[in-house]
Amino acid sequence: MTTKAPFELEKLSNDEYILNMGPQHPSTHGVLRIILKLDGEVVKDLYCDVGYIHSSVEKMCENKKYEMIMPYTDRLDYLSAVNYNWGYALAVEKLMGITVPERAEYIRVMLAELNRIMSHLLWYSAYGMDVGALTPIMYAFREREEVIDMIEGMTGGRLTHNAFRFGGFRNDLPKDFMDSLKKFIGHFNDKIDEYEALLINNIILTARTIGVGVLSKETAINYGVTGPSLRGSNCAIDLRKTAPYSIYEKFDFKACVGKNGDTWDRLKVRMDEMRESTKILKQAMEGIPAGDIMAKVPKIIKPAPGEVYTKVESARGEFGVYIVSDGTDKPYRIKFRSPSFSNLSVLKEITIGSKIADVVAIMGSLDLVIPEIDR
Amino acid sequence: MELIKELLYNSGKPLGELYTWAHGIWAGWGAPPFLLDLIFQIVIGVAVAAVVVLNALWIIYYDRKLSALMQIRKGPNRVGPLGLLQTIADTVKLMIKEDINPKAVDIFSFWIAPLIIFIPTFAVFLVLPFGKGLIPADLNIGILYVVAITGLTVIGILAAGWGSNNKYSLIGGLRSAAQIVSYEIPMMLVILSIVLMTGSMKMSDIVAAQSHYKWFVIPQIIGFIVFLIVGNAEINRAPFDLPEAESELVAGFNTEYSAMKFAFFYLAEYTNLFLTSAIAATLFLGGWEGPLLPPIVWFFIKTYFVVTILMWIRWTFPRIRVDHLMEFSWKYMLPIALLNLVITAIVIKLV
Amino acid sequence: MIFTEILDKLKAKHEVLESKEDLGVLNAWVSAKKIKEVIGFLKNDMQFGQLSFVTAVDLMAANNIEMVYRLFSYETKSDVVIKVKLDRAKPEIETITSIFSTADWHERETSEMFGVKFLNHPDPNRLLLPDGIDMPLRKDFKCADMTPLPKV
Repeated sequence: MTTKAPFELEKLSNDEYILNMGPQHPSTHGVLRIILKLDGEVVKDLYCDVGYIHSSVEKMCENKKYEMIMPYTDRLDYLSAVNYNWGYALAVEKLMGITVPERAEYIRVMLAELNRIMSHLLWYSAYGMDVGALTPIMYAFREREEVIDMIEGMTGGRLTHNAFRFGGFRNDLPKDFMDSLKKFIGHFNDKIDEYEALLINNIILTARTIGVGVLSKETAINYGVTGPSLRGSNCAIDLRKTAPYSIYEKFDFKACVGKNGDTWDRLKVRMDEMRESTKILKQAMEGIPAGDIMAKVPKIIKPAPGEVYTKVESARGEFGVYIVSDGTDKPYRIKFRSPSFSNLSVLKEITIGSKIADVVAIMGSLDLVIPEIDR
Repeated sequence: MELIKELLYNSGKPLGELYTWAHGIWAGWGAPPFLLDLIFQIVIGVAVAAVVVLNALWIIYYDRKLSALMQIRKGPNRVGPLGLLQTIADTVKLMIKEDINPKAVDIFSFWIAPLIIFIPTFAVFLVLPFGKGLIPADLNIGILYVVAITGLTVIGILAAGWGSNNKYSLIGGLRSAAQIVSYEIPMMLVILSIVLMTGSMKMSDIVAAQSHYKWFVIPQIIGFIVFLIVGNAEINRAPFDLPEAESELVAGFNTEYSAMKFAFFYLAEYTNLFLTSAIAATLFLGGWEGPLLPPIVWFFIKTYFVVTILMWIRWTFPRIRVDHLMEFSWKYMLPIALLNLVITAIVIKLV
Repeated sequence: MIFTEILDKLKAKHEVLESKEDLGVLNAWVSAKKIKEVIGFLKNDMQFGQLSFVTAVDLMAANNIEMVYRLFSYETKSDVVIKVKLDRAKPEIETITSIFSTADWHERETSEMFGVKFLNHPDPNRLLLPDGIDMPLRKDFKCADMTPLPKV
């Protein structure tokens, strides 16, 4: 949070003025403040001011036992909570050398991909609102509801699932899970076509997004941009492919990439990613073995001293957990590397020179979740 | 029974008779005739106001129900049967809410803006031909009056943007000014081609020129499409809702408004929607003309047909960007409208 | 690339104070003055294109603040961790923003959380915290107006 103004009013030319976008603004997706220096409608400079909902999660985690930290990871990114649970569970499992049973891995993959679809559907709806189309949200939420119902059946939670245990799951999949999943996979691809026809391929939207907010591959990597936003810049980096964790090597899917790295490519990548997730879900549904869902885990989680960093591909990019253990039942230091944090930092680079409306369009295409920036 | 039928199908005649009859009685009392005219005008004004308000109530409900249909949801369904009283409940809520005047506003323009925006929309109703002879004031320059009066709206929006003393409002107001001014021109060119075809600016003449189902929508199909697009832009509805672009400018020029002042903007928006549709129906779809049903019913059917198209567009498209908006007007709409005018003129000359 | 290979290459060019393998990843300690060269070398000559994060750990017992830089290479798919021990009383280190732009925000966060001063940082403002809260992630941090909840 900055307390001093980033732009000095005296230094502005006569044509320029400052516009405060946020912290309360319809399209900043939470409490994010962007200070714009404008000339008419053209953005001359901008400054991101974050930290309005900083809750010091890392400090809290230092004072909690390992198993108590899991719900906190839900709250970081409430839209892809499963992936965040996974990132944290993976770290502790790696630190303790726990091997997860195969059935549990399959369930994890299924939940994570459902969660990715859920997150991308919400992004799609929110993006529609950002660019002024009010109808897509209703259509996307129709399918999102199905996904949430499935995840709710498994975990009991609709948004913050707290689903994972170290070593697997507490409960097996509910009986009707496979049926609803089958039904969902059966019609979801058609629905994605519908979404694309409604918003993504709309002529007004393509005019607004193609060639706007171009993010080059080099800039993206330099700024640590990850996830769909990076892949939009024609860079086939998907942690599920490049640094496979769990059992992702077993599945046949591709990392979707865009061509030019403009806003539209980032939108398209997310739409394609939903199709790929459906593919993974289908394979997981067919290949899921019977067996245990929980590994043998000691009653008290007390990892040996050491440190670990694990990363998973969340819906927004690379989510990493860095744990320093000192041999007690509480982590000595825990650091969450959240994708939106780095993705937001590139905003200034790609926005300068465009219009106010573009700021909204570009920011939406980065798919930010503020709590994981502020942590 | 006969009288009602006459009133519905050929309203001009019984109303004219009523007027002469009343004047006869008035003269018998020895009162000056201009007083009676004044009374008549007040009655007409009240009637128009009733139409405006009732229509706005209905059109808001219709918009909400139609958007609900498009968005696979139910829409208002709690207040009254089928939610029909929802708008009334909203209006009451807006009336009894606190009217907030922010500290920094320029109080004069802040107060006058809703009125400047609302009064023209109200005034335009005076020249709308609702039925045969059912036109509050059949001016010689009817359509010119419409264009002139609706042009005043931009002053209201500018006043609202400036008076609010808020950067978002100001950007909204300026966007709106640029938008309305640049879309006014193609609109006038389209209207001009209609005037060329009828040779009159009188609304009743324009309707009469289309009698026997020679609706202008056939020869002027390009004009009709241009008019719909441009008209939609004129009234600041999506995809041209830049002045109040929610995701960019919070609420644009009406960010700082609350309670009844906000209700005026809201009312004006929907009334404008109705007006644009009504004018489109009059100019292109033969006005009140139609078989079987009374003219006034046909007028509303046609108007609501156009309203539905505009709403359909609104709930489907994302918002256009401000520079694209200008480009679209100057590079596409204006040349097309101009070409349409020239072709119309040539064809009329030749035929 | 396995960790010995990275270590050999790194040692050939720069002084490595200490090194160890932790779960298959090389952790190398370098001196604070050299950090810019080491990171630059890793990025330009050894294809470590991504800076995953920058953070610090407060080692109160050893009276140190330990900087942690974690890099990842998309080409060779290997990680490396560079660590720097700083004096807890006066932690100062050169910024690496000119090498990795993403370090900008990470360093600002580390700066306010641990009190590390980054020299020559282009925007040394606070990132997440408001004024008045200093170094909350240090182990001896005491919040002035924090009253513990009653024990039940």
